[in-house]
Amino acid sequence: MTIEVLYPEVANLFGDLANVDYLARSCGAQVVRTSLKEKVRFPDEDIDLVYMCGMTERSQSLVRDAFRPYVEALRERTEKGGVTLITGNALEIFGQYIENDDGSREEMLGMFPTHAVRRMMSRYNSLYLGKLDDFKVIGFKSQFAHSYGDNQKGFLETIRGAGLNPDTMAEGIRVNNLMMTYVLGPILILNPPLAKYVLQLMGVTEPKLAFEELSMDVYNTRLREFSEPTRGFTYG
Amino acid sequence: MSIRFWAALWAAKLSVPLLKITKHNGTNFPGELALKICPDFLKYIGKPGKIITVTGTNGKTTVSNLICDILEKSGKKVLNNRAGSNINSGISTALLNGVSVFNRPRYSMAVLEVDERSSKRIYPYVQPDYVVITNLFRDSIMRNAHPQYIADFLTNSIPKKSKLILNADDLISSSVAPGNDRVYFGIDRMDTDVTECINLINDMRICPRCSGVLKYEYLRYHHIGKAYCPECGFKSPEYDYEGMEVDTYNMKMTVKDKRGSKEYPLLSDSVFNIYNEITVIALMGELGMSQDETVGYLSTMKIIESRYNEETVGKINLIMQMAKDRNALACSRAFDYVSSQPGEKELFLMMNNLNDEKNWSENTCWLYDCDFEFLNRDNISHIVCTGPRTKDYRLRLNLAGVPDERISCMEDELEAVNLLRLKPGTSVYMFYGTDSLSLAFKVKESIEKRAKEEAKNDDRSALS
Repeated sequence: MTIEVLYPEVANLFGDLANVDYLARSCGAQVVRTSLKEKVRFPDEDIDLVYMCGMTERSQSLVRDAFRPYVEALRERTEKGGVTLITGNALEIFGQYIENDDGSREEMLGMFPTHAVRRMMSRYNSLYLGKLDDFKVIGFKSQFAHSYGDNQKGFLETIRGAGLNPDTMAEGIRVNNLMMTYVLGPILILNPPLAKYVLQLMGVTEPKLAFEELSMDVYNTRLREFSEPTRGFTYG
Repeated sequence: MSIRFWAALWAAKLSVPLLKITKHNGTNFPGELALKICPDFLKYIGKPGKIITVTGTNGKTTVSNLICDILEKSGKKVLNNRAGSNINSGISTALLNGVSVFNRPRYSMAVLEVDERSSKRIYPYVQPDYVVITNLFRDSIMRNAHPQYIADFLTNSIPKKSKLILNADDLISSSVAPGNDRVYFGIDRMDTDVTECINLINDMRICPRCSGVLKYEYLRYHHIGKAYCPECGFKSPEYDYEGMEVDTYNMKMTVKDKRGSKEYPLLSDSVFNIYNEITVIALMGELGMSQDETVGYLSTMKIIESRYNEETVGKINLIMQMAKDRNALACSRAFDYVSSQPGEKELFLMMNNLNDEKNWSENTCWLYDCDFEFLNRDNISHIVCTGPRTKDYRLRLNLAGVPDERISCMEDELEAVNLLRLKPGTSVYMFYGTDSLSLAFKVKESIEKRAKEEAKNDDRSALS
């Protein structure tokens, strides 16, 4: 199995890259890292998971330009059921545009009918509790932008916290096995059921995670905390 | 100048003796009060003739204190905010202490430590002659996002007239306010340098000019080092103040600048503090202080290791090592330093964000930016994880390769003291953060008590 990590020299904030190491350790996958000036591999090679995570606002433009030649290939991969996971503000790159504080717009890749509104003086920090199939997903959000537009059902169904924006319960974007979420950080380590779900999509029949018992204990502890009605959800 | 300002000045000044009487001195209350009455209080308050500000992720307190001490020793009357905070209310408190009731400045100079994120509220009114930036690293995810955000913040806030004293070995902070006059300091190649980053965090992996992957002639930690781009020829700035021949055995180094080379005493053997010292030497050079004078003053000084305290208790060494919570980089540096120390070690991890846990839940993403891998060493025989995020630490340590049999966990920090093995001759390191500071002293007392009792018991057994 092979996991392709896109642009890790810039897309590496908030411990997100640990997700890939965790998956690789759990299924023995090989990890290939593609930098901004390299040719993306998934259009030509057998890649079981494409992964990209959060980055600085300046890097979003670099990544947009680097990935532009591969938009059609990603569409094709998605139609065929290829597994792709995009976390944090990386999802904004696939929308129509990002609106800046001054109202100016940066055109993005336009794969989805969404757009982001970025407010650099207003960082949104929150806990997140949501649902996917029959399991719950917990995590953290820390972002300058929210996205708006039609994301249909999204990737996760929000129980507490913000969806794609605070006015919607649909979190992230989901098309076939392309999954995008604003939830950032070590989302797969904190959510062993989600890690197993991704591994199954990748074709691992009976996934067994590294330190599964311990990570389930950590997950259940946090799930209890995040489910407490009195637990504050938005930071600061 | 409005009536509002005078009301703010006098009310705030009046609050100072009242706070002293009620033993609440050292707070930001006077500045907070002044800003509440007059939001643009900083605009009107009288200011010293020369202002130096010190900002950056790490080292700003140490650097500010050293600068102040040197200038005071040289006979200057220096206003500072070391007793208060580094945000706008702390700066307001310091400045109002530096004027008469008629708003006449009583100091010729000010050295002010400024929080990076507060610069937007301070620099429009307090225009420094010199801005010293120690470095920019990842800090709190929630507050500081990423270092480029803070660099942009500073670029947009620092007045055009300010001369910058910058770290050439840090391509993030050295890129701040590119239009401003500047000088660079740095440290030439050291024996411990590498050329490939071994840390999880390196926020300067690509060339700022062409986005190619950067190479490093030498790399100290994270993104600190001398970089170049093989594709476009971009390279780190040249040093105006160059630290070289760093000799931590004899505690000396040479600094070369346009006036020539000079040997300086080393105030600390940690690289972080060597950078802090060179930062100060560079500023003193810019202020016109001779090399001999600077050497003379530095020779009489110490860096107070408030974040590192070592003592022998019973048959163990007990070390309090601050590892700022929410800050992957600070913890990585502390882990790296401790793991490189000789001898058998036992660690006590209590860097939980206790304040967050009261109403929220700590954002633990930083654990996966932090190099817990440094703790996977054979001479670290035991690690005790405590606090609300105990299980997260255990999982992170497991993923870092630390064998589970070396890890013990207990949520209650004071009860967790009983898990320590306290083997004679071992160094016990307590890692604590700002949230757990007061609790850390209670834990320390508890460890001391146990260590003394065990030493007594050992001695009794030996006699019988």
